[in-house]
Amino acid sequence: MVDEAVLDVVMSVEIGLLVLAAGVYFSHGLWLFVTQKRTLRQMTAARESLARLLTRGAVSVEEIDALRRIPRGVQVAAFLEVSRNLTGTGKDRLRFVAREVSLLDRARKLCESRRWARRLRGARLLAGMDVSDPIVEKLFSDPHPAVRAQAAEWAAAHPSPTVIKSMLAMLADPATQARFAVQDALLRMGDIVAEPLAAFLETHSGSPAESGLRVAGALAESRFLPAALRLSLANESGVRMAAANLLGAIGSAPSAERLTELLKDPESRVRAAAANGLGRMQHWPAASQLAESLRDSTWRVRRDAALALRAIGAPGTLFLRRAIKGDDPFAADMAQQILDLPATATG
Amino acid sequence: MMEVVAGIVSQLLVRGQFVVLLYFLGVNTWYLILLISSLLEMRRHMLVIANESRYLLLSSTLSPTISILAPAFNEEATIEGSLRALLALQYPRLEVIVISDGSTDQTMGVMIERFNLVPVKTIYEQRIQTKPVRNLYRSTTHPALVVVDKDNGGKADALNVGLSFASGELVCAMDADTLIEGDGLQRMVRPFLYSTDVVATGGTIRVVNGSEVKFGRVARTRVPTNMLAGIQVVEYLRAFLFGRLGWNRLGGNIIISGAFGLFRRESVLNAGGYLHDTVGEDMELVLRLKRLSYEQPGPGKIAFVPDSVAWTEVPESARVLGRQRDRWHRGLADVLWRHRGMLFNPRYGVTGLVVLPYYAFVELLAPVVELAGLFTLLLGLAFGNVDWSFAALFFLTAYGLGTALTAFTLIIEDLSFHRYDTFRDRGMLFWWALLENLGYRQMTVYWRLRGLWKFLRGRKDWGVMERKGFKPLAAPTSGA
Repeated sequence: MVDEAVLDVVMSVEIGLLVLAAGVYFSHGLWLFVTQKRTLRQMTAARESLARLLTRGAVSVEEIDALRRIPRGVQVAAFLEVSRNLTGTGKDRLRFVAREVSLLDRARKLCESRRWARRLRGARLLAGMDVSDPIVEKLFSDPHPAVRAQAAEWAAAHPSPTVIKSMLAMLADPATQARFAVQDALLRMGDIVAEPLAAFLETHSGSPAESGLRVAGALAESRFLPAALRLSLANESGVRMAAANLLGAIGSAPSAERLTELLKDPESRVRAAAANGLGRMQHWPAASQLAESLRDSTWRVRRDAALALRAIGAPGTLFLRRAIKGDDPFAADMAQQILDLPATATG
Repeated sequence: MMEVVAGIVSQLLVRGQFVVLLYFLGVNTWYLILLISSLLEMRRHMLVIANESRYLLLSSTLSPTISILAPAFNEEATIEGSLRALLALQYPRLEVIVISDGSTDQTMGVMIERFNLVPVKTIYEQRIQTKPVRNLYRSTTHPALVVVDKDNGGKADALNVGLSFASGELVCAMDADTLIEGDGLQRMVRPFLYSTDVVATGGTIRVVNGSEVKFGRVARTRVPTNMLAGIQVVEYLRAFLFGRLGWNRLGGNIIISGAFGLFRRESVLNAGGYLHDTVGEDMELVLRLKRLSYEQPGPGKIAFVPDSVAWTEVPESARVLGRQRDRWHRGLADVLWRHRGMLFNPRYGVTGLVVLPYYAFVELLAPVVELAGLFTLLLGLAFGNVDWSFAALFFLTAYGLGTALTAFTLIIEDLSFHRYDTFRDRGMLFWWALLENLGYRQMTVYWRLRGLWKFLRGRKDWGVMERKGFKPLAAPTSGA
C-alpha cells in the first residue's frame, strides 16, 4: 500500500534529523564544556591584567598586548564588569586601557552599523564604560526603540545642555521603552535638569508634559511650581494627576492651596493624588478637607485621604477618630483600618 | 451483501488511516513553523538582552509597582520559606499579598508568629464577588506584606480576593509553592515598560524535581532521574521555549501559566477577574483579556519572556499526573467552549483565525485523532487492509517527527540558556526525549481523553496534587 521507497525516504529523513539534532546538541555541549573553561581562564587573566593596569603607576605595554590577545567577547565582559565598580580616575584609566586595546573604536564602529543589534551593542559598551562620545547622541534618533533607550541610558551620565535638550525632546517618544529610559535618565542627571525641565514644562502640555511631570515629581524642585500650578488646570486628567503629585512633592503654600482645590476634582485619581500630596506635605490646615474626603464615593480617594490624615500626625489622627464615630460607615471603616495599620505600613 | 459491507469497511479503514496520516503531517508541519518562529524569536531576544543592565530598572523610582498574589491552602510546612523568598525578590517596588484560602492547618498561625502579623480592620474595595474575607493582617516587621485570611473558595477566588487588596499597577499571580528566580520579576516586567499595549506577560516554568533548592532558590539544576518527572522536563521545555516563544513572534500567545504570570491589575479587574466555575481559569482569563482587547479599546498583547524563570514541582506518580493532565484538558475544552464565538471569526484577527483553530483541532482533538488512528490501524492490520509498511509510515509520521522536533527544542535550550550543563544532564534529557513517545505519550492520550469525557459529563473538580517537597542542598561535610 505504501511504496517502500517512500517509507525509506521518510525513515532516512527522520533518522537523519535525529542524528543531526543529537550531533548538534552534544557537539554544542562539548563546545560549551571546552569554551566555558577557556573563557573562565581568559576572564580571570583579563581581570588580573586590568587590576594590574589600573593599580600600577605606569601602563605596561606587555599587559596591553596580553589584553589585546584575549577574544573580544571576553574583553567586553571583563571591561563592563570592572567598569561597574569604578568611578573617577579609576574609570578614566579603564577608558584609557579600553582605547589602547581598540575596544572603544570597535564600539564606535558598532554604533555606525546598519544592523540595530550591533548599534545596540555599541551603545551598551559606550554606556557601560561611561564614554563621552558624540556618536551616541546620533543614536537618540535611531529607528529602533531599544537603541534609542540605550542611548538615553548613556545620556544619564553625560548631562550636557545639548544632551538634556535632546532628552526633553524625547519625552514625547512614541515608544514606551525609550520614554521610560529618557525619564529615568533625566532623573539620574539630577539637579542639572531642573532649569531646562521647568522651562519645558512651562511651554508644553499633553503627554510630553505628563511625561516630564513624572520626572519633576521625583526631583521635587521648587522651580517647577509655576508649571505645576498651570498644568494642574489641564484638561487631561493624567496631566492634572501628575501635577498634583508634583505639587505634593514640592510643598509650599500655593501648592497646598491648589491641592486642596483638587480634592474636589471630577476625576477620582486626581482627588486621590491631591490627598496623597497633602499627606506628603503634612499640611495640617487641610485636615478638615481631608476628613471630608473620607466620605468620597471612590475607595482610592477615601484610602489616600485617610493615609494623608495619618501622615499629618495628631490633628489628622483626631479627625480619623472622629470619623469612626461619624454617621458615614464607609468613612468610619476606612478610618479604623488606617488607625489599625502598624507604624511600618505605608499604604 | 457481506462482501459489499466488508468492502466499505475496508475502504473506510484505509481512507481513515490516510486522513489521520495527513492530520499528523499537517500538525508536524505547523510545529516546524513554530520551531522556526521560536528560533528567530529567541535570537532576537538574546540580542536584546546581551550585556543588558537591569540595575537601572532595579533602582528606578519610575518602575511600576508589582503586587504578588500568593494563594495558600494548608501550606504550614513551606509557607515561611516561600514567603521569605518572595520578600527577598529583587524588585524595587514590591507588595506581597498572601491569601490563605480557608487553610485548616497552622498556615495562618505560622505566618502570624514568624512575620509578626497584627489584625487590621477588614475592609477592601470589592470589585469582584468572592467568598467572605475573615481577617486582614499587616506585618509590623515587613511593611510590604499583606496577609488575607478567607473562607475556602478555590484558587480563582483567592486570586480575586488578592486583586481586591492589591495596590500595584501590575499583579503577579503565582502558586504558593512556585519558586521565582531572584531577578524573575525584573525580567518579566520589561514588556510592560516597552509597550502600553501589553496586558499580561508570562515567564518560563521549569521543573524543579531533581534540582537542589536552598533558601527558596534553585541552587543547582539537575535533570530528575524519575522517568515521569524527566519526561516532563522535556515537555515543559518544548511547551515554553518552542510553543510559547514561537507563538510570541506570531502574535498568538493565549496561555500564561497560573504558576507565574504578570497582569495589568486594572485590566483584570475590568474584565471581572478570574472565573470560579472553570478548571482552566488561567487560560480563560488570558483569552478573555485578549477578546476584550478586540471588542473595546485597551491593551491586549500577551508577551512571553523566556529568560524570566520560575520553578515548579511536577507529579512523579502516574496517578497524580493523570489527574493533572485530565484537569488541564477539561480546562482547555471548557475555555474553548466558552469562547467558541471567537473561532474562525475574523473580528478576532489572528486569535480567531489561527490560534483558536490550532488549539481546537491540534491541542484539544489530538488525543481523539490519535486514538482513532491507532484503533483503525490495529483493525486494518488485523483485517489485512493495511500493511506493515503503512503502519511503519504512520508511526514515523505520528511519533518520529515529534521526537525530532523535541530534540531541536533541546538545542534551542542549549544554545540560549543551557541550564542543564553537564553531559549527564544532556544525555538524560535526550534519553527522556526519545522515551517520551514510547508509552508516556500514549498515557497522556488516555488522560486527555478522560478529561474530555469528564468535560462532556460536566465534571469540574480539581483533584489532589501530592508534592514530595524540594530537595535541599546537602549539608557541607567538614574535612576530617
